[in-house]
Parts: sequence; structure tokens; C-alpha cells
Amino acid sequence: MFICRLKGFSVVWAFLLCTIATAASGADTANTVPDGFKQKVMPFFADYCLDCHDEENKKGSVSLHSLTDVSADNASMWKRIWEQVALKEMPPRTKSNQPKLMERLELSNWITEGLARAMKDKGGFSEHMRPSKGNHLDHDLLFSTKLENLKPASTPARIWRIHPQEQLVRLNDLICLKRKFDPQRPGLWTHGDHIPANLEGETKVYFGLDQFLGAFDDAYSVGVSGFQSSLSMVRDHGLRNYPFLYSINSAEALQIAGIAEKVLRFMANGPAAEPYQFGDEIKKIPGKYRNLNLIFYKNEIKRPLTPVYELMKTLGVSDERLREVIRFLFEALTLRPPSKQETDTYLEVVNKSINALGKEEGVFLGLVPIFLDRDALFRPELCENGKPDAHGRVMLQGDELALAVNAAFSYIRPDSDHLRTALAEGHLKTRDDVKREVICILNDDSIRKPRILQFFREYFDYDRAPGICKDRKLLERAGGHFDTYYAAMNSMVANTDRLIEVILQEDKDVLKELLTTDRVIYQPYTSGANFRDGILFKSDIGYFMNRGKKFVEFKKYEKIEPTKDNKLVIERAKREAYDQNMLHHIFPNPAEPMYVRQSQFDQGRFPPATNALKAVTTVDTNERLGILTHPVWLVAHSDAMDNHAIARGRWIRERLLGDAVPDIPITVDAKLPDEPKSTLRHRMRVTRDKECWRCHRKMDPLGLPFEKYNQLGILLDTNPANNWGHKVDTTGEIILSGDPKLDGPVDDPMEMIQKLAASERVKQVFVRHAFRFWMGRNETIDDATILRDAYHAYRDNHGSMKELLTALLTSDAFLYRKVEDR
Amino acid sequence: MLQKVATGAGGLLGAGLFIELTQAADQSVIHRAGSPTRVIFFLQNHGFDPLTCIPKDLNKESCALDGLTLEKPMQALEPYKNRMHIITGLHGRHTNPGHSAYFGALGAYRGGTGVPPSAATIDYVLSRSLPQTILPPLCIGMESLDSMRARPTLATLSASGPNQPIFMHCDPNMLYQMLFGSIAEGSIKQHYEARSNVMLEVERLAQRKAKGLPMGDGERYGRYVSGFQELNGLSEKLSRISARLKKFAPKLDARYSNPKFETDWHDALLEVGIAALQANLTNVLTIASGCGEYFGSWKGLGITDSGHGLGHIDQPGNLIWTKIRQYNCEMLVKLMKALEAIPEGSGSMMDNTLIVYSSNNAEKQHSEGATWPFVLLGNAGGRFKTGQYTNIKGRPINDLYTTFLHGVGAPVDRFNMDKNMATLHHSKVGPIEELLA
Repeated sequence: MFICRLKGFSVVWAFLLCTIATAASGADTANTVPDGFKQKVMPFFADYCLDCHDEENKKGSVSLHSLTDVSADNASMWKRIWEQVALKEMPPRTKSNQPKLMERLELSNWITEGLARAMKDKGGFSEHMRPSKGNHLDHDLLFSTKLENLKPASTPARIWRIHPQEQLVRLNDLICLKRKFDPQRPGLWTHGDHIPANLEGETKVYFGLDQFLGAFDDAYSVGVSGFQSSLSMVRDHGLRNYPFLYSINSAEALQIAGIAEKVLRFMANGPAAEPYQFGDEIKKIPGKYRNLNLIFYKNEIKRPLTPVYELMKTLGVSDERLREVIRFLFEALTLRPPSKQETDTYLEVVNKSINALGKEEGVFLGLVPIFLDRDALFRPELCENGKPDAHGRVMLQGDELALAVNAAFSYIRPDSDHLRTALAEGHLKTRDDVKREVICILNDDSIRKPRILQFFREYFDYDRAPGICKDRKLLERAGGHFDTYYAAMNSMVANTDRLIEVILQEDKDVLKELLTTDRVIYQPYTSGANFRDGILFKSDIGYFMNRGKKFVEFKKYEKIEPTKDNKLVIERAKREAYDQNMLHHIFPNPAEPMYVRQSQFDQGRFPPATNALKAVTTVDTNERLGILTHPVWLVAHSDAMDNHAIARGRWIRERLLGDAVPDIPITVDAKLPDEPKSTLRHRMRVTRDKECWRCHRKMDPLGLPFEKYNQLGILLDTNPANNWGHKVDTTGEIILSGDPKLDGPVDDPMEMIQKLAASERVKQVFVRHAFRFWMGRNETIDDATILRDAYHAYRDNHGSMKELLTALLTSDAFLYRKVEDR
Repeated sequence: MLQKVATGAGGLLGAGLFIELTQAADQSVIHRAGSPTRVIFFLQNHGFDPLTCIPKDLNKESCALDGLTLEKPMQALEPYKNRMHIITGLHGRHTNPGHSAYFGALGAYRGGTGVPPSAATIDYVLSRSLPQTILPPLCIGMESLDSMRARPTLATLSASGPNQPIFMHCDPNMLYQMLFGSIAEGSIKQHYEARSNVMLEVERLAQRKAKGLPMGDGERYGRYVSGFQELNGLSEKLSRISARLKKFAPKLDARYSNPKFETDWHDALLEVGIAALQANLTNVLTIASGCGEYFGSWKGLGITDSGHGLGHIDQPGNLIWTKIRQYNCEMLVKLMKALEAIPEGSGSMMDNTLIVYSSNNAEKQHSEGATWPFVLLGNAGGRFKTGQYTNIKGRPINDLYTTFLHGVGAPVDRFNMDKNMATLHHSKVGPIEELLA
């Protein structure tokens, strides 16, 4: 072995000498080879790689003997090496001679730094900074290795583009009345909550809903006007909101400007409607206006009456009043008061606009720039005024600190004055101050915290379910109803949101409870107007169906003697008996009512359905166990035609085990055979080919237990005769988890989930994801202490999310910013 | 053999509505007789079933179209058969076209929902090779009214480089204001000027707050600032060619301000697109019927169904899809007639134009990209064969895009296809000879 390695080493040197001699004859070769390459790479290759990948062996057609410093030409090879080394894929696990974890990290960092440098002018390289690559930093290195000489943690100074929801919530506040938190009905949609999607899946803010009087027929669908966020967001799996991922382009800026004008006009004038669209009672609307696809508004003004309204309803214009408007808008959009210079600047802009167009038009146009202010669209964490410590770090202070703490939870400035008062009175300066405020916010239910819910959406990915388009024929064959399927999925996303909030409210073993809860929330009501067969299955209930369960009648239909007039009555009674039986068949346990937030507007449903009264119940834990067995998660990890065991296995590998798989090589034509009559497990035999299996063994055995369900999350009938002849095989295996207690075969998803939920490693990985979400970046080795402390805070306090967040939000990574030389 | 491979040429440019305002803004485009001058892409979403475009009485792999009859959905193009080339048999398996390949449709690389562009798309690369105009390229998107109002611009199909999407315009009023607002009279002109001044102020304010940002953030925020510079630069350049704009500006009517159906806006968008071509504001127009996604609405054609479900319908012989395809073809005819009406060199604009009609997701909604039909119209100055049906067996759409580049005089070996992939996907070096004249 030693001789062989030495031989490989000499080959590299010989090649390099030759190359350099050719390229720069007479140059001092020892000085030409980059130091990093010489010190970090060459010894690593010699010790661990060249046995198999030298000029002679070229195992897997990969030869490293001629590889030189990172450049644009060899970037794809270096990227492969980075992933293989970071994820411990290479050297093969069967080799006894393995690099130390720190050696792997040093080489990984060297490669990614080199790639970023080499690709700077060629589209850039930022793969290693993406959320999906967070696990490329070895878990054991962070949690189980004695580390020395760590640098004090901090996060780079930055600006963070606001979340699309953040934009919508703030704009909604300008045009819709605020709804107060009701502790008796905590599920109601409340000021500060995120804007829920409607059943079509659109997340929009609507004009004039507070003043809505009524409409005729289906006029809602064309009469209501609103807007979506103009900010783009990736729609991929996993965490989605790292600051470096987003800017705002000119198209988005133009959209913001367009929306701003509409918002300002509405703030001043109310609904853009004709006089005949206003009234006191819908039944008094004259017949001639009823078929025009219009919606009608109350005469009484119902919207926030702001300084914009006051300005426009009075004659003339004064600088004083304009200043008031500017201050109001600036604070509403940036969550901080404007400086005098900022107010003066915007005053000048709006006055110029008024001079050009007159008051009516000039005010609206002239105020638009406030909506495009940097601080209305990006939250700065620049620490421009503090003095850096010996490590170049400055602690956030003033507005930046207050806004960072607030933004950890909320999209708007909290109604409570606590944080603002603390800032104004000089009580927001130290770590203890931050801790006090964080605890205060966490314990105040009236301060809505949509960011926490957003974390769980991105961690579990269940909110992707409505975006998974299904093939109609296969969907209907799987038991779905195509026309209502997407609405049911959107409804179930809202239900899962609420379930998570309930578990967060309890704040006990949060992750374990999410993974193993027997609770589900569902929509218990069906349309009273429609009695066609199968109506029950058009709602979310049908997707919790167990096809193999014996049907036991719960409520008998009490026969009604037919007469010539009671045909509909009989039909309805039969229908109700059937629905109740089926509901009991699926959810036999007692249920409690529960409010769930839904959109302000659903097509064809008015008055605005801001909330829906649903039900929470418990289920048989042999059928469902936690969110991973809920239809909405299963669908989110399926595709148009079938289950997606790879996506499900990958989720567990990444989000629970803290591991990853390398990107699919560009040369791989990754397709399963098209065999409609085969099970997915059988079709996936192709992934067992040697080259595929190295990665697929880390995913497939974790995803295949979910074959207990079909692609819609409906339980399969275990009797092959009732399942198109297919035997339901739910076995799988946990391998290479990093925790020997976890590894081993499992019979079904329940067994696997129970094992995972009990694992300390899984809790640690959860903490890593929480760190990423709230810091907006991947962790580095210097964050190891923070991660360990946060994990202990979570574990030692019975799985408390509040304690986890308190630990993270008072950490150096959250509080300190590394500033560049000024 | 040529050594060039066309990839993300514009990787350094900022993403935005207008990728690069060329220096040729205030100059007339130099017209050379018989030289390619412009290309138009028209992509209908939900796939393009080959049975829709293969003439019904065809019984050969490749042949002249003369004597054959086009299928009912394509019949509006019957008089233009001699200027037409129907191409089948290409594939785009590597583009992940289920629902839509998104940027992969014109980039001929792996695309999909939420996948950012990994290189420049063919419309952008062509626009760099053709005689320069102010807006290379201009993209327009057609959807339901609600969607076009809610998302007046979005980026799904075109890109100037890796992670550099080009936005399409979906609101004809906004697009009109942007391109032709400077030539309006009275209060519209007053508003246009006031708006331009406000945008200059926004640019100045944005620039002021760019100072002192860390390097990476400075670049990101710089894209925000440069977006305003692009917009303001465009206004300035357009104001210098007002005579040309006046000549070709479409007439604003109720369809713009008060559309009854979404098709009113579709028609209006096409008119503005045509006017931009006629006024030489752009050398590449990309039209996305369905906005490159998998929804869409055509209630103006009497089609009550809309959205995603349309893609689940088998297209051949289906009344809904016949109507949509006929509407597409009428738009293509309108384009050709409009370009024929404008003299250029010794002929008309159409003589120097190539129109490419296809889909953003191969042959059907849930496609694996096994076959991806195209219809070419025009010969771009005599560079492309016409009056033909050709079945290109097994080659990827990259090879067609390579052929386009050869046709416009910017030859490359391959388009967005490296050697490893080329073997796997049966890509050959150079153009598809059967398509070039």
C-alpha cells in the first residue's frame, strides 16, 4: 500500500513538472504549484485516492494524476471530487484507510473556495452555499468530534430580500382592516398571520373585501381584484430563503411600482367601482346591474383610514401633511421610521410629481418610490456604525437588531410595543436584552409568528403537495376526484399548518410529536347542495381512506316512506347516512372542532372564507403516524404518475439523518422503466445497478416503506386481489445513518418512523435545519458550539421549540455580523 | 471542424426586462438583401402532438409538402405550405419536459419547475448574432386575464445565461406604455414623462443606498439598481427614434383598456409584438401562449375549460385543441402578413425572417420528450429549406438550435450540449443538413 501510494504521488509530481515546464520554461516549479494544492490536495490524493485513480488504474474512468489547480475547465471534475469527499463516498467505505473528518473538511473548503474563484466570471459557483448542500459538512464533525481553534461565530454582514409573504402581509395591512387575535379561537386568521392560499392555490391580497356587500351568480370570480407577490421564490424542495439567493430585477420592480399605485389609490378612494355598485343591502341592487359580473360594496367605508386617505380627502396639499404620509408609508413598508434625510428626499420627489401632474395623480405617482426603497425590499444587517472586535465582528444594534429579532418571527411590526419601547429606551443592546425580548415574543400568542410555521413548511415540504400535478387517469384510478383534487390538497396544507401550530403550542417533544402524532385535522362537512354519489370523497377525507378496512355500518338509514313529494328528502337522508357511515369508517374516534385559516377569497365562495371550522381527531397508528404518513406529505413527495420512493427516501436521508447524496451526474439518463402494470418497487430494480446503487442505497430503502400508500396517500389494500394483483411490500432499511442503533431493516413506515423519532441524531439534524433557516445560511465548523448548545437547549427542555429558538436567536451567529474592511 | 460551442454568452448581464440595450438604438438596422434579420419563436403550452401537424395523407419519412393537405388545426397555414418546413422526430428527453421544460425548452438542457436557467437560451443567442436592435429579444406571454393582470411580467422560457432569466410581458398596456409611451400626445405623454422622471429618482435613490454594501450583496443589489438603469436607458433611447415609433405604433382601443376576454389581450400583445418587429425594436420575438407554464385560458374562443386540465386532453381530433391550434395559426398568418407588408432590402421583412412554432413541453403535457415537433415558416434570406416535411430520427432539439445558428451565420459545433451528453443523446456535430438550403 505504501509503495503504491508513493508511486502515485510521484506520478502527480512528474505530470505537474512536465506541465509547468511546458507552460513556463525555466520557471521555478516548486513556486508555481499553488500552495493550497501542494499542501492540502497532493498529500490527500496520494494518501487516499491514487491507489485507484492514478494514470494506470483509472477506476471508474476517473484519473486524478493530471488534475491541476481548480480552473473553469476542470470545474466539473473538482465539483464531483468535492461531493465525493465531503459525503464520505470516497474513498470507498470498504477501504480501511480513511481520511480524518477534518482532513475531508479542509479539502472540501479548499475546493469550494477554488471553484468560487475560478467560476467568478463564468456564472459563478455557489453550490456549497445552497441549503441543499448544508449536510456536506459532516454531522459527526459538528456534534461528536473534539474541536479546537474554532473562530468566534458570526454571520457575514448582508442585506436580506424580504419574503414574498412579507411583502403581501405588509401591503395587506395598508388596505384591509386588522383582525385581532382571539385566544378562544386561536386558529382564526389574525393580523400578522401569513396570507393563506385559496383553494386554487393562489396566494393573493384582495381589494375591498372589508366593504363587500354581495354579488350575483359567479360574479366573484371576475369581479374581485387583487394581486400576488411580485417577488420570486424558488419552488424547490427544502429551505428556500437564503439571502444570497435573491435580488429584485427590473421586471419585479416594475410590478411593485404598478401594485403600489393601485394600493395608494385604494387607500385614498376605496374600491375602484361605479357609484351603482355601492349600497346598503344586496337585495336592493336594481335588476339591470345584476348580470354584469360585478361585485357590490357597502356604502359605509370599511378599510384602514390612513394619512393617505386624510391627504386626499382634503383640499390642497402641504409639506406638513405630505411628511406625515411619507412617515406613515415608510414605517409601514420598512418597519422603521425614516431619517430626516429620507423624509426630505421623498418629499422632494412627491412635490416634483405633484407639480407635473397635479395633486390627484402626482401624489400617487410620487409616493411610489417609497415602495421601491431598498429597506422596504431588503432588510439590512450591515452594522455600519459599530466598531469591529478583534475578529472583525460587530454586534447588530439599533433598528437592525430590533428588526432582526422581529423578523425571526413576524412579517410585520408586532402590535405589541414591547420591542419598540425597549429599543427607544435603550434596553435593546445586549445578549440578555435580546433574550428577554425573544422570550416575551415567544410567550405572547397575540404576536403572530408566521416565520416559525414557514420553517416547518420548508422543513417538511408538505406545502408542495398542491403543486404536484397528477395525470388525470391515474389520479382517478388511485381514488382521487380530479375536479376537486387540487382544492383538497390546498385544504390539507392549511390543515397541516394548523396541526403544526397545535403541536407548537404544546411545545413538548415537538419534532417527535410531529413525526409520530396520531392526530389529524380534516374538513368534516360536505356540500349540502350536491348529492351526487361520492361527494364525501371530493373533500380531504377521502385521502385518509383505508382500502383494506372492513366496512361496518355505524348509522342505519331510517327508511322514509316515499310519497310523490319527498324524493329529494329520501335522497338526502340516504346521502347523510352514507356520509356519516363513511366518515365514521375513516375517522371512528371522537372529533373536536378546530378553526383553520383559509384564504380570504375562494372562487365561488363568498362572503370571504377567511377561516373554516374543521375537526381534529385521532387515527389508528397502524394506518397513520405523524406528518410523513399524511396524504399531503406523501403527495408532496410523489410525481405525476406514481409514488416517488426516491424523493421520500431522500427527504429522510437529508432532513432526519443529516446526510446527502451527490447531484446526479450529467451523463445519467435517470428514468424508471415505463411498466404500467408493475409496482414501483419492481420498476426501481434499475437503481440497483452498481453505479446507481452507491447513491440509491441511501434513499430507496428509506422511501420504499411508504409503498403502504398509493400516490395520493391513500392506504393500499393489502389483499392483492383488491389491489390489481399487487402484493403490498412495505419493507425497507436504514443504512449508513451514522447511528448504529438506527441501522437495520424495518417492516413498515411506522417502525421506521418510531425509530427515527427516538434518535438523538435526528434531533440534532433538526436543530441544524432550524439554524439554517433562522441564520439564512449553511452552518460552518465555527458554528459547532452554537449547534451543540442549541441541541442541548432543545433536548434538556423536553423538546421545546421555544428553548431551541431562544438559544439560536441569542447566539453569536445570530447577533454578530462579520464586516469587511472599511 | 468548428471548435465553438454556444453556451451562456450573456452570463454576466443582469436579469431583467431588457437584457442589453445595444448601441444600435438610434441607428436604422442595416438591411442586406437575402440575409437573416429576425427570428420569431411561438411556443404553445401543453405540448404539440405530432398528429396535429403531420399531413393526413403523408406516407413517407421525408417529402415535399406540395400536394399534401394539412390537418384541420393547421389549415390556416395551407396557403403558406411552400414556405413551411414540418419537422418531427427530434427529442428532448434530457430537458425534463413533463408539464413544461421551462428554460429547457429553448435552452435544450434540463429544465423543470423551479429550475433556474443553466445557460443562455436559443432566442437570446440568436438575438446576439442577428443585426442588432434595441431589445434583443422581446418576449410576450399569454394567459388568463386574471393571471396576466396579477403577473404582468414573468420569466419561464428565455435566459441570457446561467441564472439570468429574461422576463416576458403579459400586460399589453404596460408593454405599449414602455415601447410607445414616448410618442403619445397630451396627458399620456405628460404621464409618461412624469413617470420617467420618477423612475430616474428611484434609480438615484437606489444607487445612493448601494454604497457600502459588502461585495456579494453589492453585486446582488447592483442588479436591482441596474434594472432601473436599463429601464431609464430604454426610455432615453426610444425617445430618439420617435418618428419610427409613430409609424408603427398600434392603435389603442377598448381591447387594451377593457378586454372582454383574455384573447383580446392576446391579440393586443401580438399587435405590440408585431409593431416592435416592424419598427426594428427587436430582432427576436418570443411568444409564449400559456406563458411557458401548464395553465392557460381561451374563453374568447368559446372554450369554457381552462387551466391545467386542458393539458390532460388528447389533442388530435379534440375540438378544444383544434380551436386553440387554429387560433395559433391565425396569429402566425397575421405575423407573416404584417412582415410581408414592410419592405426590406429588395423584398419584404418576411423574406429575411424565420418563424419557429412548437411547444414548451414536446408533444404532450406529461411528456418525456420522446418526440418534439416543430414547424418552421419562412427561410430567413434563403438559408432554410421550405415546402418540406422531414422526420429527423432520434436527434435532440439541440441539433435544431445548432442549425438555426448556422442559418443565421453564427455556426457552432453544438448548442448547449457537451461531448458526453452528445453521445448519450445522439447529437451530431454541426447542423441538420436536411434543413438548410
